[in-house]
Amino acid sequence: MIRLPRLLTVSAVLTLFGLALMVWSMIEPTPMPVMLAMSVGQMFGTVAFGLFGFVVLVDQLRKAREKGERARAEAARVASGQLPKVPTSDGQAPAGAAQPSTAARSEPAPPSSGEASR
Amino acid sequence: MFSDPFIAFAIVCAAISAVLLLWYLVARPKLTRATKIVLLFAVGLLPLGTAANGNVAGYHATKTRVFCSSCHVMTPFGDDSSNPGSTSLAARHGRNLMFGDENCYACHADYGMFGTITTKIGGMRHVYEYAFNFHQLSLEEALPRIHIRQPFPNATCMRCHSTENPGWLRIGDHKSLLDRVRTGEVSCASEGCHGPAHPFAQVAHIKAEQAAAKPVAP
Repeated sequence: MIRLPRLLTVSAVLTLFGLALMVWSMIEPTPMPVMLAMSVGQMFGTVAFGLFGFVVLVDQLRKAREKGERARAEAARVASGQLPKVPTSDGQAPAGAAQPSTAARSEPAPPSSGEASR
Repeated sequence: MFSDPFIAFAIVCAAISAVLLLWYLVARPKLTRATKIVLLFAVGLLPLGTAANGNVAGYHATKTRVFCSSCHVMTPFGDDSSNPGSTSLAARHGRNLMFGDENCYACHADYGMFGTITTKIGGMRHVYEYAFNFHQLSLEEALPRIHIRQPFPNATCMRCHSTENPGWLRIGDHKSLLDRVRTGEVSCASEGCHGPAHPFAQVAHIKAEQAAAKPVAP
């Protein structure tokens, strides 16, 4: 199992090392820092960005998969008649939807006219 | 340092990126869309700005005399070419503003479309030679062993000295050797003409040859 936060931490640390080498080469432009920045520093940066891209890709794929699973589960519930009633604007159950029991109603029933006149 | 806009931009990008990365490492936020966008800048775009501008700055830095003479065996070459009192060919060119601080590169860089690339590849060879053959040597030991890998091409001199100038052609030796100079058969930097470009190195070579030729006492 790939742990995405750990990969992102590695990516962030590699980027920091790469940036440090690049800044060092600019502050002290002698052969060793310049060569390190242009080779190791850039390799760190490239690997870090690759890791970040990989993490984003995996995360997006996982989210898409979860969304698909939710949609399939929803469809299965609809097919089996377990879907909670979605009331229409006039308070009536939509045509073809399963009629929920009275206990499942979230709002109390309106009082009858006789009760209201008391 | 910060007067160079490339370096200034690269360092600003690096600083912003470092702040964002440290925030991520300390705060450890959840991987939401906002976090991804922040990390896109911190890991991708800002370091790209640093790398691109840092490369340009690094490329400029590798052309300077200070850079070339930062290896200890190259110190006398740099000192001589920056010496205002020296009359060596290298120093006289170093005093020319067209060469200036980049006089090593101006003369030793290859010419042509891919000259910059071949020069940089050649520079990597210098790094290899220094790391494995010259790093541990003292200056006195190294100087007799330092030599130019290929004869200095006249084409490099002819980038500026076209051999067409009437003033140049008025000189008898130039006129008589014109074809041989143009084909490179006779080197401009040869002894007796305008060279050697670094006379102290030539002296070290001659001394080493003389020492080697001395008969060893039984």
